[in-house]
Amino acid sequence: MRALGPGSVSSFLKLVLDVAYAAMLAGVAAALLMLLAAILFAFNPGLLANVHLPEAERFTDQAPLVVGGLVVVGAYMTGVLIILGALRRIFSTLTAGDPFRPQNVSRLRAIGLALAALELERYAVWGVSAWLPAVDDIRPGFSLTGWFSVLVVFVLAEVFREGARLRREAELTI
Amino acid sequence: MPIRVSLDKILMERRMSLTELADRVGVTIANLSILKTGKARAVRFSTLSALCRELDCQPGDLLVYQPGPAEEGEEEG
Repeated sequence: MRALGPGSVSSFLKLVLDVAYAAMLAGVAAALLMLLAAILFAFNPGLLANVHLPEAERFTDQAPLVVGGLVVVGAYMTGVLIILGALRRIFSTLTAGDPFRPQNVSRLRAIGLALAALELERYAVWGVSAWLPAVDDIRPGFSLTGWFSVLVVFVLAEVFREGARLRREAELTI
Repeated sequence: MPIRVSLDKILMERRMSLTELADRVGVTIANLSILKTGKARAVRFSTLSALCRELDCQPGDLLVYQPGPAEEGEEEG
């Protein structure tokens, strides 16, 4: 199978990344709009009387919870969006035939930090939900897989840093 | 880099241009300029022997060791 060009693994991965990025961008935009609407309704309960929404009364009672939930979902999707954006940029350097650039090291580190932030966000959600009597379907759990991914990405960033140094040296070898 | 390349001096002595040397050695002018300005990090033996052949000199005539403070961005080891 070809490494680059049409019909190659990389072209398939590029397609997957592009689709996932577009979907996540739409998801973040939708979450933002829903958050704005939730904040608007939370501060103006009178507006709900004009809008025909199922379970509108329940929303009035749980407005802070809904807003908090949307903030969490929006933050999670933004984290994934950052990761996908960095991956797309790394991939564009690969298709350009020059992946060992110093910029890719910082991109990989950004991905590692975003993964770590997503893991920490999960713990924060569990911690906060434990104090909320209205939320009882979020179960705490510790998984090493997430932290293992963070470790793998940071190791890869170091590999890329050395690769970028070697590429620079090869460039200046006459 | 404490290694200095005295290509300028030898070219002047031989009354040869950088373009002519690049043609004879089979190295691009851009790469030869990198070598001449001391920006090169390494020289292949094949390039060095071609330079010595065309300039009729020894490697020691081309390369001079001049210890000094490490340049910015230069890594030790």
